Amino acid sequence: MSNWEPKIVSFLCNWCSYGAADLAGVSRMEYPPNIRVIRIPCTGRMSPKFILAAFRQGADGVWVSG
Amino acid sequence: MFAYIEKIKEISNRLLKESTVDLIIGFRKGTVPMMNEPCFAKTPEAVDGLVWDSNCGINLANYLANRKEKIGIVSKGCDSRNIVTHIIENKIKRDQVVIIGVPCKGMIDRHKIEAMFDTEIEAVTEADGRLNIKGDGVDTAIDKKDVLQQNCTICTHRNPVIYDELAADLVEEQTDVDKYEDIRRIEDMTPEEKWEYFEDLLSTCIRCYACRNACPLCYCPTCFVDESQPQWVGKSQNPTDIRTFHFLRAYHCAGRCTDCGACERACPMGIKVRILTKKLEKDCLELFDWESGLTLEKRPPLDTYRPDDPDDFIK
Amino acid sequence: MGIEPGRLHFSWISSAESVKFVDVVKETVEAVKALGPNNNFIKTTAKVA
Repeated sequence: MSNWEPKIVSFLCNWCSYGAADLAGVSRMEYPPNIRVIRIPCTGRMSPKFILAAFRQGADGVWVSG
Repeated sequence: MFAYIEKIKEISNRLLKESTVDLIIGFRKGTVPMMNEPCFAKTPEAVDGLVWDSNCGINLANYLANRKEKIGIVSKGCDSRNIVTHIIENKIKRDQVVIIGVPCKGMIDRHKIEAMFDTEIEAVTEADGRLNIKGDGVDTAIDKKDVLQQNCTICTHRNPVIYDELAADLVEEQTDVDKYEDIRRIEDMTPEEKWEYFEDLLSTCIRCYACRNACPLCYCPTCFVDESQPQWVGKSQNPTDIRTFHFLRAYHCAGRCTDCGACERACPMGIKVRILTKKLEKDCLELFDWESGLTLEKRPPLDTYRPDDPDDFIK
Repeated sequence: MGIEPGRLHFSWISSAESVKFVDVVKETVEAVKALGPNNNFIKTTAKVA
């Protein structure tokens, strides 16, 4: 249990947070490896279905970012 | 009630005769007690079969979506709010419908009555707020107000919000009702208690989709439960699938649901499915000051943006 | 609905805010870690070999 790491499904907007993630990578910043990124064309594409689908398939957390 | 029925028939006959409408959607007696069925009347003979009593809980707005002909529709308070929602969502045009408004004093919950007696109920008649129940060895009268559908007891829009004709005088609206007592109780629970609560609430669901079919809002050509690519919800009796179905259906009704109670009435297992839609109705009221189906002028909260929309949940 | 509020996060980050991005990732991971593994709402299916 002590080495358990959460899996967090992240829905990132192509134009905002996905860009920020890209910039963070280019800038060689370090951040926890627990997030699994799914790029969406816009946060407007987000639907409650996605969140429930992520939890159904065993996600420990969901993060939506515009 | 007879005055109501006569007036509905009179209006219907006139509308049909003048060819203002092609058909009237109303209620006729069902084959079992306490279950009136919807009726599409096109002839004077069919109009003769129209009835109105306290078993007209089905939401007739359900039959309006995507219709092309001109329709006269018998409509109580909640039906009329759903007609407004349909018009806002371009499912029907305002000039296509002639709304026969029927002020409503609440519909009875057949689950409640059936639970009161051991035997099958063969006939229910009503007069002056009392119901006479007849069955094998049963012949008794009860107060109608004790067996109302729960949503009718807390209803604050008994009169139709829009109408072209009126079948009776408007009734007095209820005030001072505490609509969301049960929702607040659930909101106060811890996540574990909530999990238990919903597990228990939905444990008897048989996934018949009666709630969806009875709901006037559920008019999608392909419901998300029937989509197979991607498959959002499995087809089986799996608790997670059942939960997904109910939660997503509730979310689809957010800002649109009028709490007409058609879903709960249709449920063969007596599940209180309205708990889910009501929570979202409460949120819409508190966050956006919105009650659905009251006006044609305003757009619903989920398709408008206002700079003062609440956004504390965003980091 | 039985999912802890800390499991679901929303944020708004511009594409220039990589520092904020990293901060939010850390914050989110911490919040979920504190809650422990998610046991609810997972669909368990029979494994087909």
